[in-house]
Amino acid sequence: MTTQPDVSPPSNAEVTPTLFDDGLPSVAWWVALAGLPGMGPARLRALWETASGREAWRTVAAGRAHLIPEVGQLLGRTAEETSRRWARAGGRLDVGERWREHAELSVSVLGGAAHPARLADDVEPPVVLFASGTREALLGPTVAIVGTRRCTRPGAELAHELGLVCARSGIRVVSGLAVGIDSAAHRGALAAGADAAPPVAVVGSGLDVVYPARSRTLWAEVAARGVVLSEYPLGTEPARWRFPARNRLVAALADVVVVVESPRSGGSMYTVDEALRRDRKVLAVPGSVRSAASSGTNWLLSQGATVACGPEDVLDALGLADAGADDGTLLDPRPRPSGDGRRVLRAIGWEPATLDTLSRRTGLGLGSLAVALDTLEADRWIDRDGGRLERRAQA
Amino acid sequence: MLAKVSSATLLGVEGRPVSVEVHVGAGLPGFTVVGLPDTSCREARDRVRAALICSGLTWPPKRVTVNLAPSSERKMGSGLDLAIALALLAASDQLPADALADLGCIGELGLDGSLRAVPGTVSLVDAMPTAQVVVPVTCAREARLVGRHQVRPVERLSDVVLALTGEVPWPDPPEPPPPPPEPPLPDLADVRGQPVARQALEIAAAGGHHILFVGPPGAGKTMLARRLPGLLPPLDQVDALAATRCFSAAGVGVAGGGLIERPPFRAPHHSSTMVALIGGGTASLRPGELSLATGGILFMDELGEFPPSVVDALRQPLEEGVVRVARARASVTLPARFLLVAATNPCPCGEATEPGACRCSDAARARYRRRLSGPVLDRFDLRVEVHRPDPTALLAAEPDEASAPVAERVVRARLLAVARGVRTNSALPGERLDEVAPLAPGAKRMLEAALRQGRLTARGLARVRRVARTIADLDGSDPASPLDAEPVALAMALRADASPLEAAA
Repeated sequence: MTTQPDVSPPSNAEVTPTLFDDGLPSVAWWVALAGLPGMGPARLRALWETASGREAWRTVAAGRAHLIPEVGQLLGRTAEETSRRWARAGGRLDVGERWREHAELSVSVLGGAAHPARLADDVEPPVVLFASGTREALLGPTVAIVGTRRCTRPGAELAHELGLVCARSGIRVVSGLAVGIDSAAHRGALAAGADAAPPVAVVGSGLDVVYPARSRTLWAEVAARGVVLSEYPLGTEPARWRFPARNRLVAALADVVVVVESPRSGGSMYTVDEALRRDRKVLAVPGSVRSAASSGTNWLLSQGATVACGPEDVLDALGLADAGADDGTLLDPRPRPSGDGRRVLRAIGWEPATLDTLSRRTGLGLGSLAVALDTLEADRWIDRDGGRLERRAQA
Repeated sequence: MLAKVSSATLLGVEGRPVSVEVHVGAGLPGFTVVGLPDTSCREARDRVRAALICSGLTWPPKRVTVNLAPSSERKMGSGLDLAIALALLAASDQLPADALADLGCIGELGLDGSLRAVPGTVSLVDAMPTAQVVVPVTCAREARLVGRHQVRPVERLSDVVLALTGEVPWPDPPEPPPPPPEPPLPDLADVRGQPVARQALEIAAAGGHHILFVGPPGAGKTMLARRLPGLLPPLDQVDALAATRCFSAAGVGVAGGGLIERPPFRAPHHSSTMVALIGGGTASLRPGELSLATGGILFMDELGEFPPSVVDALRQPLEEGVVRVARARASVTLPARFLLVAATNPCPCGEATEPGACRCSDAARARYRRRLSGPVLDRFDLRVEVHRPDPTALLAAEPDEASAPVAERVVRARLLAVARGVRTNSALPGERLDEVAPLAPGAKRMLEAALRQGRLTARGLARVRRVARTIADLDGSDPASPLDAEPVALAMALRADASPLEAAA
């Protein structure tokens, strides 16, 4: 840390406001800094390590940020330009106004009492954390259920099931609220009921910027039952580079990470990297070798990830036993198919199939095949998705 | 002196009779054409003058006024040249006045007096009330199709004049040879595998149901669409004449060709303008691709690349079978009764039918899907996903059924529809469905379940019944017996929404 005459060491900063002459607590300055364009977690941390909130703000607003050695090093070649951008944005910002906008929210700063313990000790801790919901939700065993946005229906169903059973067993489900696996896992956690473990979500935008728009209700439900966390102040738009940063928090908050479906490259693989850095256990769900959505998870298994075939494997990894009996899904309420229907259901298998393929596999004419498929669809054994027919795991 | 000759001009696909009146009188030499001629008509003066002189006739050095009656309608094209020339000759006493009685003529004059063909011969001749009609030689075959007139084909102006003065009998010039027979249509046996798509083609041909193919590039959608004309029966007399008129009026078609017998197959490029497709272009409100496809097939490849306005404009023709075009001075009703075949990719990268393989962003995919609006997609009775062919099927030794046996079944099925009083099953009105397509109990249960579960809408119900009726007709089942579960289930399966699911949330 560089020594500067009028700086109070950051460890004295607390949530109970330490008032400076302009009446703002030090966390307010960090909120303002976190909102500057291009201010990522690493740069913010570099500032945090070298100055107090107000000092850091003054340095940045004066355009001298690049003169701090750690910061300058991080910024690299564009140090001066970035510094100027920050100064310009800082000049336009009224810090007090910004702070008052966040009055309803729970905001914690690194070093403060309210900052989650497991994040404060992290290898790359977040400097500011905005929370909508109850922070108590973060206390307890936690599993991260992550995966691709372009999942298959069985993948989504499995994520839902994992979320449901984990929540029911008292395990918090943490995920990113993205479309696909993330949302399915959280829906499962919510479906476990009000007295199950609360869901935890980390997002890559401001808490008021719902991305994507169709997840609006899910966000609200997770915030109401559990907590939604963000490293960025209100109004921050989601940008591509914020998502890997968010994924590291998902990994940091979890005891165990489960990847349900993912291609070889994608956000979930980044979460796995971050989990391995923090020595968290990584589980992967095996999938069909023909499915592009499972190519990443299958690769993880080949690299030594633990196999997760169902909720029991996840609970095992956490050292817990399955709490409570099933909710009656042992008995499938659906009528068992017979005759042609049974042949067709067996021929579909667990991968999506087309009419052509089924006709070839079963040898049935298109007419009788269509009748059998219609009955199966009506009884909710299969789903029709365009020209593809997929088997449903549950009604 | 005054002389009158009948002729005609083209508007849409109809001819409008025109009476060409020429007055030659005293005054400063001049030539005026009145009656809203377009530029081409006005240029007739120079053509007629040169043609007259080259034919050894005299150009009267007097004041000549030509009136194209009725004067409030626009006259288009150069087809009135011959009429103007003959009326001028009669008015200047170079032809006997009564020679032009009950005579109609069309034709463009070359500067040497030869007669040239004009587009729209069939419609023009049809509009003329006279008993005899003089036409250029190359149009003679088309003119005879109308059937009501005595057709006099001529090669040059001097021949007409000599025949009209009575000196020489009407000439009998050799007509151009008929066009070579068209190459055989592509055969269905070329398609390997794809049983669902083949079945769908057969159903579309038999019942006139519009069909949409969705699939990745290289799946064979265009290939399948091009095999559909081979399954359709040849046009009957009425349809053939209507198609020939449209082609003639649009200026498309083989010169010297006669009746169009094969159902037309039109495949406009997706950069075509709205007017090129719908019609109504140029002052004569030319028929567009939709009208040219009447009685046949309109194939829209890459449906997603057509501008949304164009795709939406299809709604009226698909519903009513006509296109009503209105302009400031005139409005026409163009025929537009065709079988619509469309092919599209499921998304910009084309891979959305394979689960998990689509590389498009959500926004791009949503944008692409928006182009195919719900109401247009709804007009397709058959929506089939076509997947890349199976390698074993491609290399199989035995080809599947050829077009000929399928075409026979299609003909038989179409006869059943005609016996019901409609052209094709797709034209069955909703009220008659209970009468001609009653449901057996099993089928009824199936449809009820589907309606309750939201897998079928009310409009979809009517369409499914029509398609099921066609399937039952193709199977050879008794037309009077109610529809079983099998055709109904297959009809529902082929109508499945072929747009891929959004990522499950």
